[in-house]
Amino acid sequence: MTRSVPITAPAADDLPPSPRPVESPSRRRRRRVTAHPVAGALFVLPFFLVVVAFLVVPLGYAFWLSQSSKSLALGTRFTGIDNYVRAFTDPVLLDGLLRVVLFGLVQIPVMLGIALAGALTLDAVTTKFAVAFRLIAFMPYAVPAVVGALMWGFLYSRTFGPFADLPALVGGDPIDFFSASLLLVSLGNIVTWAWTGYNMIILYSALQGVPREMYEAAVIDGATPVQIALRVKVPAIRQAISLAAIFTVIGTMQFFTEPQIMARFAPQISAGYTPNLYAYNQAFAYSDFNYSAALSFTLGFLVFVVAYAFVFVNRRRGARS
Amino acid sequence: MLGTKWMAKLRAGLVVAGLLAVAACGGAADNPDGPVRVSVWAWYPEFKGVVDAFNASHKDIQVDWTNVGTGPDQYAKLKTAFTAGKGAPDVAMVEFQQIPTFVILDGLVDMGQYGANDDKNLYAEWAWSQATDGDKVYAIPVDGGPMALMYRKDLFDQHGIPVPTTWLEYADAAAKIKAVDPNAYIASFGSDGGWLNGLMWQAGCRPYGYSQARAKDEVKINLTAPECEKVVNLYGDLVNKGLMAQDKFFTADATAALDSGKYWTWAAAGWTPGYVAGSLKNTAGKWAVAPMPQWTAGADEQGDWGGSTFTVTKQAKNQQAATTVARELFGRSKTAWDIGLNKAFLYPLVKDVAADPAFTGKAYDFFNGQKVNEIFVPVSEKLGEFQYTPFQDFVFKDLNDRTAEAMSGSRQWSTVLEETQKNVVAYAEKQGFKVSR
Repeated sequence: MTRSVPITAPAADDLPPSPRPVESPSRRRRRRVTAHPVAGALFVLPFFLVVVAFLVVPLGYAFWLSQSSKSLALGTRFTGIDNYVRAFTDPVLLDGLLRVVLFGLVQIPVMLGIALAGALTLDAVTTKFAVAFRLIAFMPYAVPAVVGALMWGFLYSRTFGPFADLPALVGGDPIDFFSASLLLVSLGNIVTWAWTGYNMIILYSALQGVPREMYEAAVIDGATPVQIALRVKVPAIRQAISLAAIFTVIGTMQFFTEPQIMARFAPQISAGYTPNLYAYNQAFAYSDFNYSAALSFTLGFLVFVVAYAFVFVNRRRGARS
Repeated sequence: MLGTKWMAKLRAGLVVAGLLAVAACGGAADNPDGPVRVSVWAWYPEFKGVVDAFNASHKDIQVDWTNVGTGPDQYAKLKTAFTAGKGAPDVAMVEFQQIPTFVILDGLVDMGQYGANDDKNLYAEWAWSQATDGDKVYAIPVDGGPMALMYRKDLFDQHGIPVPTTWLEYADAAAKIKAVDPNAYIASFGSDGGWLNGLMWQAGCRPYGYSQARAKDEVKINLTAPECEKVVNLYGDLVNKGLMAQDKFFTADATAALDSGKYWTWAAAGWTPGYVAGSLKNTAGKWAVAPMPQWTAGADEQGDWGGSTFTVTKQAKNQQAATTVARELFGRSKTAWDIGLNKAFLYPLVKDVAADPAFTGKAYDFFNGQKVNEIFVPVSEKLGEFQYTPFQDFVFKDLNDRTAEAMSGSRQWSTVLEETQKNVVAYAEKQGFKVSR
């Protein structure tokens, strides 16, 4: 950003070796340290203030909260890492974590698989229909998550829902989408519905950036369209796929809105159904803001570890291939 | 140059921000000559009329009302405000089971010091005892939910099934209903903490005890008493036998089932006539109300499901004025109760209003002309003392999660209360309470 500022000299490091007389090193350093950084700092300042006010300070406050324990009868006292020890041994949190991991292991590949297939199809088909399809596929993402979850709550209804009575056609009982055994599938369907189009657009945009010459070369070499898709296009957008995957993994670890809304319909969604829901209930139902802060930090740490591990593995695999 | 311009802009910006802050404060500050303004959070239906009536009849106090969400949504905001030390309204609507929770969070003002004890005889005894702790008045009762059995009179008559007067007969009726209509159920196990609590109350179960006046850190929890266990066992047995449905109350499915003949009864409360008349159109006129089935034939044990109060928060700027608002929004106001009874369908906890022939003698088309309040009013009068814990959210949530496990088959119904007791005691001890049974 600072490079576009006309009133200060461009940073010397960025310039090719200059034929004109070189200033003494000490003078150059002084210019860099005084005039240039002030303007630069001023340009960065608004962003910096926003980050400090809305990210650093709240994070610091939450961390400070997590260092104390508040009990209803005894009041608040400093307890250091006690809350974290409690979190890592809390069966409710561990159950919730296990649940979102299982959920992600099934839902993420299914969703990204559909999104990739859709993106490849869109890329191969260039009719007006493709434009309309692109828009329609993206539409669920534009629906607020709360509205989407409520809508599916009604679609899953055993009385009004269009799907529940399907087994009745062959003489079966209506499906209970909120039963313990089907609940994760029902939730997975909502998430897949909401996010497939979004991921499809990311992958489709990446495909648009692949040089067309590669396809021509593949065609000349005798590749079929399917071979082009799988052997040329998919490797070419590997980066975009892993980006979509990492965002989805993070989103899944923070699973909250859909189960929170669906709890109105489904008694099987317990107070600690997902880690985020558990943190919410600790704060806003049980008034334990301290433990809630510790839970949030624990979850954030785990998300960081998982995301970093994912990137690391991905990079290693990328380097190998 | 750049520096000074920046500074000038920054200064201008700060001035604007400051003005906005002053303006924002100005809205809430009291004009020394004008009326005191009292902010109220509440989610009663048709509440605007009640506020207007108060404002019209009070020159020196004016109410600013906001609906910030129903039940848990409002409590989440209130708990945040109490923790933050600011942001709470002067007066907040709070349900009975939540009063001890907000008391222990040190959020509520003792209105006794502003003369609220004068209202003692105005309200139903059970309600006053839940709203107070000794001489300390933490809440002013408004509406309640004395329970009675709503049933499909036409179907019971048509199939010659007697309306159950005991829970044993209720279980028999459940089997008979299944026999005449395989798609029907006697009712639904609605996964509602307050509802199950009301049924336990009616069974003579008194699982909780807490009084801050006695000891801040002592709480009684006894969910495994036989009076409590028998309720869960009866309902669990009906669910296991497939005689009771499992739709959660107040969902579209449960409402449709009530309106389609799928459920034949609903152990409901004093506020149900208003609720059902608005949502059940097909079966209007086919329902009737009977007293709750009893655990011992001929007994007269009763329970309550729901009800709410007004509280004054410790963040109130003018606690005296806020107390007046809490006491007089409904209280003795004829206009307010006219709206409360006929538009919002509240069950009044003001004894005179409940005893008024205009209320007891009111015939409901939905119940084919039956004067159902003749059943609800004696129930409210009969209700005895029932206390809650200062962490009732935890108790209800845990109880709901355990019954959900039982419904899905991963837990025996007979272990539901045992497990809840264990979890609640562990939680209470972690919170620093001495727990007794």
